[in-house]
Amino acid sequence: MTLAYVPGDSLAHRLDPRSKLVVQGGVVAAAYAYTTPTGLLALTALAWGCLWAAGGDRRDLWEYRFALPVLVVAPFVAGVALGEPWFRVGRAVDTALAGYRVVVVLVVGAAYVRSTPVRDSRAAIHHTVPGTAGAVLGVGVALVFRFLPLVIQDLRSARAAVKSRGGGRLPVHERMRLVAVAGVNRALGRADRLGAALAARCFAWNPTLPALAFDDTDSLALALGGGLFAAALATVL
Amino acid sequence: MSTRTEDVDLVGDETAINLARAALFAALVGAFAYVTFPNPVSPVSVTLQVLGVFLAGIYLGPVWGAASLVFYLAAGGLGAPVFEGGSAGVGVLVGQSAGYLWSYPLAAGAVGAVVHRGVDLRDPASVSLVTLAAAMGLGTAVIYAFGVAGLAIVLSLDPVEAVTVGAVAFLPAEAVKLAAAVGIVRSDAIAAA
Repeated sequence: MTLAYVPGDSLAHRLDPRSKLVVQGGVVAAAYAYTTPTGLLALTALAWGCLWAAGGDRRDLWEYRFALPVLVVAPFVAGVALGEPWFRVGRAVDTALAGYRVVVVLVVGAAYVRSTPVRDSRAAIHHTVPGTAGAVLGVGVALVFRFLPLVIQDLRSARAAVKSRGGGRLPVHERMRLVAVAGVNRALGRADRLGAALAARCFAWNPTLPALAFDDTDSLALALGGGLFAAALATVL
Repeated sequence: MSTRTEDVDLVGDETAINLARAALFAALVGAFAYVTFPNPVSPVSVTLQVLGVFLAGIYLGPVWGAASLVFYLAAGGLGAPVFEGGSAGVGVLVGQSAGYLWSYPLAAGAVGAVVHRGVDLRDPASVSLVTLAAAMGLGTAVIYAFGVAGLAIVLSLDPVEAVTVGAVAFLPAEAVKLAAAVGIVRSDAIAAA
């Protein structure tokens, strides 16, 4: 199962995407400022609260399993010493806490992904990043969402074709080359057809995007995000 | 019911095509996360994402190549499943892979700048082998420098520990990707470039 937007009417679904981004930023800042058992415990509760408010549960976190090996190995590498006392528990605990804060941030990110449609994310970029840069970034992001499944399909079929022709016996760099050539050729072909189609359909810098507006719930979310930022800042000052 | 009129600010044809190519390359780098190959020296398998970063620099040039990887990062941060193992979200952008990910636009820009010797594009097939290898060597150096620094900061490791966790097992695989990229560019196999 892939972590992706799930339509719904949860608290997080009703929030403006910009408030959700502020809360995420706040959690990141706080997790880095308070990398202590108590701080991370409080942030864990908050992160689960965010995921719960988005109607999600632990199954949404399955996609992050690839982060685990490094997070598990790093404390051991940090703890091992070439000489007495051979294993420094303090260093290992520091790195383990640092690894755990990554997990907390991933959980909050999952809540955003689950509760925010692409159109809203694009509108948030367009409203937040000024001028042409915002328009380019918004369009680019929307197109990545749109074309990713097709490009993945292209690569899978190229790979199946290489395999069915006995490609398994070729050296790794040759197999990589064959799959990548097929992928790049199809991507460039799609891009050129898309570019021509966009130009033919009055592709404009000022598209009509969904209207975004903050409401009362957003003020609470913004206050939460702002509070977290302030708390993080307080440790620096 | 009221009506509203607005001027439409059209995007030029060339920009539209460049933008489409940059977005498709970003999707390609994301799709490469789903294709794994055995690592010659380690049980951890490798994906082709770094190869995608090299190719973005080579085929799109320093400006649109870097833009393409910015699209990739922004789309992943906002929920497109383009990061390792199909993960997504802002968390990944500040997690232990943060350094590698944030280096991608810079690496694509660096590869593009060396291959094209500036911002004007030239035919990648006409570029000498030495230039290609140097460009991708520079790209790899940028990615691993940022990647290892990111690991050290995010996981509170010292530099030697970070290199042990984040580079030793992966660098030999980069040589294989470099060889694959040279093969792609020099074989005239890319039709639309």
